[in-house]
Amino acid sequence: MDHRNSEEAALVRRVQAGDELAFRDMVERYQSKVFSIIFGILRNHNDAEDIAQQVFSKIYFSIRNFDFRSSLLTWIYKITVNECYDYLRKKRVRRLVYESDFSAEESQRMEASEPAVDPAPLADARLAQRDLAVKLLSKVSEEDRSLILLKEVEGHSVEELAQMTGMNENTIKVKLFRTRQKLLKAAQRLGRVGGAVR
Amino acid sequence: MMHRIIRDHLEEVLAGPGSAPEHPAGEHLAACAECREQVAVMREQAAVLRQFHAESEPEPRPGFYARVMDRIEAQAPLSVWTLFFDSMFGRRIALASLALALLIGVYVISSEQMPDPEIAGVGGLPQAKLVTNLTPNEATDLPQDFVFSSQPRLTAGAPDQDAVLVNLVTYREQ
Repeated sequence: MDHRNSEEAALVRRVQAGDELAFRDMVERYQSKVFSIIFGILRNHNDAEDIAQQVFSKIYFSIRNFDFRSSLLTWIYKITVNECYDYLRKKRVRRLVYESDFSAEESQRMEASEPAVDPAPLADARLAQRDLAVKLLSKVSEEDRSLILLKEVEGHSVEELAQMTGMNENTIKVKLFRTRQKLLKAAQRLGRVGGAVR
Repeated sequence: MMHRIIRDHLEEVLAGPGSAPEHPAGEHLAACAECREQVAVMREQAAVLRQFHAESEPEPRPGFYARVMDRIEAQAPLSVWTLFFDSMFGRRIALASLALALLIGVYVISSEQMPDPEIAGVGGLPQAKLVTNLTPNEATDLPQDFVFSSQPRLTAGAPDQDAVLVNLVTYREQ
């Protein structure tokens, strides 16, 4: 499929030419989608707003690099998922830095004490599964991650993925198979086969 | 290790139709426990990934575009010129540098236009000459211990010539 002659390609060209109105149109057209991708991964409205702003800022600065090989949505999807993972990585680093400020004794005391938040949601198996899935997905490449999410979360078929990404169907199948294998191996290494907490 | 037939039809198998007994992959699955186990785990993973799907599409708060533009402005790369023109201190530095450059320029230009006395003198002479003013005979009459008070040299003006003449006069009086 040629992504150069579509309506969205015309919009991209206008944004690439510096048309602010076209950029506004792009933001309004994709903001809901971007929000739902972020919210689906992080389940937090405040974080979703912050990351969505960052996603569109990134789109604004890198739209010149968009080469029409994939659809605009695929490109935006990849940027959005990457931003989510970037956010999670920074959050983990911040937490590690915060924890390193305490002495070992203080850390032990904090771990032994009752949590300040309601423990019920933390015990939720679904939440734990989601956390594990996020962790497993961090073990695969950016491209493979967005591909498997487009397949499983957005429900696109192999044929649709081939059209969206500009790759052929066999390549998509091979990439999906390898990604699934990597996820499987990562889960085995963590001692959790599949993605289920057992 | 997953067998080839399952690998080739994995997406169909995971989606359902490939697992049907009449499908070649389904036939293999029924017979191969190893492939069946791996497919089961992959199905489980796919189900977990599907939890990332947001049931509803949450809308951002009003004014989202304006906030995006604010962020873009804040993240826009700084130009060197904005450093100079956006702050009073920067403007003063720029002004001082400009004034200094102007002064240096004026000095360089004016010093190049002023004639160098030595160079101008040499250029002005019709022909440089050795300042002895002695005829060949007089020069040979000079005693062995005669020493010029200054080294004979090319000169442009009268003062040096006079100095040598004074020396010669002094010698004759002796």
